[in-house]
Amino acid sequence: MKSKIGVYICHCGGNISDYVDVNKVREAVKDIEGVEISVDTMFACADSSQKQISDDISKKQLDGLVVASCSPKLHYPTFSAVAERGGLNKYNYVHANIREQVSWAHSDDKIGATEKAIKIVKAAIVRVKESVSLKPIEVKAQKSIAVLGAGVAGMRAAKELADLGIQVYLIEREHFVGGRISQLDYLCGADETGKELVTHLYEKIHEHTNVTLFTGAEVIKKSGSIGNFKIQVKITPRFIKNECNRDELLKAIEVCPVEVDDDFNFNITKRKAIYRNYDSEYPQKPTIDNKNCTRCGECEKVCSSIDFSQKEEILDLTVGSILAATGFDPYQPKEGEFGWGIGNVVTLPQFRRIINMCDDKLIYKGKEIKDIAYIYCVGSRQVDGDNKYCSRYCCTATLYTSILTHKKYKDIHSFHFNRGIRTYGKQEVIYDEASRLGDIFLQSYEYDPPEVTKLNGKTNVKIEDILTSGSEIDVDADLVVLVTGMEPRNDCSIGDVLKIPKGRDRFYNEIHMKLRPVETVIDGVTIAGACQGPKNIMESMNSALSAAAKSYSIVNKGELSLEPIIAKVDKETCVWCGKCAEACPFDAISMIKENGKDIAEINLSVCKGCGMCLPVCESNSIDMDGFTDLEIESMISVLAGS
Amino acid sequence: MAKINPKFTDELKKYGAFDTNACYNCGHCTAVCSLSTEDDSFPREMVRFSVLGLEENLKTSLKPWLCYYCGECSETCPRQAFPGELMMTLRRWLTAKYDWTKLSGLLYKSLPVSITFFLLVIAAVIGFGSYEKFDTEKIMHLGHYFEMFSIAGVFAFILLPNIIRMWYFTIVKAGVKVKFVTYFTKIWELIVHMFTQKRALGCDDNQLRWFEHLILVIGYLSLLFTTVVLDWFGTESTFIIWLGYAESAVIFIVTFIFMYERVKKSKELARHAHPSDWFFVIWLFLMGLTAFIVRIFIDADLIENNLWMYLIHLTVLVQWALIIVPFGKWTHFLYRSFAMYFDALKKIK
Repeated sequence: MKSKIGVYICHCGGNISDYVDVNKVREAVKDIEGVEISVDTMFACADSSQKQISDDISKKQLDGLVVASCSPKLHYPTFSAVAERGGLNKYNYVHANIREQVSWAHSDDKIGATEKAIKIVKAAIVRVKESVSLKPIEVKAQKSIAVLGAGVAGMRAAKELADLGIQVYLIEREHFVGGRISQLDYLCGADETGKELVTHLYEKIHEHTNVTLFTGAEVIKKSGSIGNFKIQVKITPRFIKNECNRDELLKAIEVCPVEVDDDFNFNITKRKAIYRNYDSEYPQKPTIDNKNCTRCGECEKVCSSIDFSQKEEILDLTVGSILAATGFDPYQPKEGEFGWGIGNVVTLPQFRRIINMCDDKLIYKGKEIKDIAYIYCVGSRQVDGDNKYCSRYCCTATLYTSILTHKKYKDIHSFHFNRGIRTYGKQEVIYDEASRLGDIFLQSYEYDPPEVTKLNGKTNVKIEDILTSGSEIDVDADLVVLVTGMEPRNDCSIGDVLKIPKGRDRFYNEIHMKLRPVETVIDGVTIAGACQGPKNIMESMNSALSAAAKSYSIVNKGELSLEPIIAKVDKETCVWCGKCAEACPFDAISMIKENGKDIAEINLSVCKGCGMCLPVCESNSIDMDGFTDLEIESMISVLAGS
Repeated sequence: MAKINPKFTDELKKYGAFDTNACYNCGHCTAVCSLSTEDDSFPREMVRFSVLGLEENLKTSLKPWLCYYCGECSETCPRQAFPGELMMTLRRWLTAKYDWTKLSGLLYKSLPVSITFFLLVIAAVIGFGSYEKFDTEKIMHLGHYFEMFSIAGVFAFILLPNIIRMWYFTIVKAGVKVKFVTYFTKIWELIVHMFTQKRALGCDDNQLRWFEHLILVIGYLSLLFTTVVLDWFGTESTFIIWLGYAESAVIFIVTFIFMYERVKKSKELARHAHPSDWFFVIWLFLMGLTAFIVRIFIDADLIENNLWMYLIHLTVLVQWALIIVPFGKWTHFLYRSFAMYFDALKKIK
């Protein structure tokens, strides 16, 4: 029980004192038992007032502090710091809001407002009486970080962390690094191809002793908490020996009789069951696709490097933080969506692969392509579907692709069926270039999308063009390109393992879009790149570096200090009904055996002090530090006037 | 339903258009245009039709003729797509479309063809002169006949059929239903616009240019009347002689000003002059000047021994009457006024 409490009541320069009789409030509380001093001040937040309060605390040996002023959102941190400067534990300071909750809300009733202010200040006083000093929870942090996904974002983050001296485990599900960017040739606004960019990054992490790369690897289990995550990694074998003969391997690819759709080329070509995606791909070793391999043994006959005896491995790692950069999937159009399936209709990623494969003539299915219709916002900004978001990268990517076709092939005509071109920022010059090359832009509203039909052997695209006062305009295209946006990975099992929450758009969610853009509510898990939402390469890099910095700040000191406002269990009364564990959104509660009895235990570094477990506990065995039942009940009794 | 024809802008460029594809449909041009109205909104719509290559929409439209090229749209276009010059280009293109002989298109698109035609006329006049053994009296007499017959012939075989084609495209094909009697009640529109070009006054700060143009038209028409009907070169009447001097002087002075402006490129409309624009203004200047000098030669009794002067005038006259009037820019005199007439017909509910 605190007995030397300082109470400071702020005028807020008239904001409060114009409606609340501050003197009367001071008079009403000054004689309460335990109140050492009560003062009213013009601006409590002013430097001189802050100094006065901290001096009072140290000189008068105050053991509790109440400041009645504005919203705690604004100045709770200010006065916490004042308390600490005066030598008072900040959890012995209680904030009373008499501006937003009183003077501003009841400017029509000064007497009532003053009465309410008195009650609120009295409640704060009784709460501070019951308050307990708390210390931050210190935990050890492993100086290692798992980066999930070796795309450009993951590799960039890995390199940054390794440079800072952190042990990085770079875990890639595929057998090759590079992710989506390795599927691109020329990149808009860069002198490099996507493959070169990937190679460049790979070389950087490859030479770094601090980075351990796992390919064909997946995190299948996670336990522990910030600073000490224990993850289990499943590594699927490549079936190729470590020391391998390159020429023999190429021969092995040649003789493999199994042909399957090549998903690297978005199924427009075939590949073998033993494959590599392109010559300069890293790691420079083919892999055997276990799902499709028939074990016919043809490859073993010509190649000594094949090793079918390799087994799946499970690896246990301990890391201080996890950085997820698991990327996106391109939207897959539905049958019949903008003519998908009628032939001569491809997606933008497919079209990029086609351009990559055609040198001086653009050929698709044996026919030369001259007139290309691009249909924008396929799978993005949907009216009926769930993907309400804009995929950001596609307008620029499409116009850039169109410019590429003009440069590479002759007599190309491009028709852009769009819903408003969004080549934001510096990318506007791409729009300008395409437009001056003679590209034609047609625009429709979202509820009147263009129609693609097969007419007399030609693929016809029709639109009610709002730029031609809604007239019906159509074009016969040799090829229709559906500009498909980004979607969250279809296989998002990693998110489920890590328990990263997803937004309505099914991408992983950050805590705060603007202020905490790479942290998740799972302490210690950060996100980067397109797994969080559509991004272009530059934006992915920004978030990768930002997430790397955030993850680094968690592990770099080797220990962590956590907020002590958490739930605690009364071991005597707890009978383990399990309801608290069900209610906990953070998985912080588990059952333990103590003295032959099942009871609940709270993981200190996982609990966020949300209080969800408190009301469901039938035996009332859980209390919250900083918001104890005693504090809350005493406040209620004052406010209820008893 | 209209099909896009991306190759159309290439065709249009031959008539003078510039970077039309640069247009991003902001509509600035339409907003600044002082002649554009809610019912007749241009030039953006015409730019759009051109970019998409919707020839039918362009062919049935009167809007290119409703623009008098003050050039404000081109000056303020944020994309330098020169909408004003596009409207001018469309007038050339329409002139070619209206012309059943297709010669207009050929002359507009090819400078060498135009020059060849002019050279052929020179050869023909010299041939005619030698055939008539350079007999001054006979040649001048036949020259006067040529004036009358060429006017009648060009009108009957070229201009009248072309105006009927224009009517067919812009009224019949455009699906406008006009009551027969309306053609008579609205005829006044045709006459007013033909002789006053009063719509040009709607352009901002255009009074001076309108006035220059007006006196040029009056000077030209009255000189035509003076030479053809009053036989200026053959008359003894002092009044007619001085009238002719005044009219021809007006023509070459005003056209000289126009040429000077085109050289200086002081106005937006003069910045992108097409060869056909130059031919029109130069030949009109030469017509006025040579006629003026020929009459001086007659009055000074020099013409007997200096037939060459009359032959020069005759060459200019024949080139004018057989090339520029039926197939060149002269036709805008008719198409502009008929466009105002047809537009008035369209607006009758």
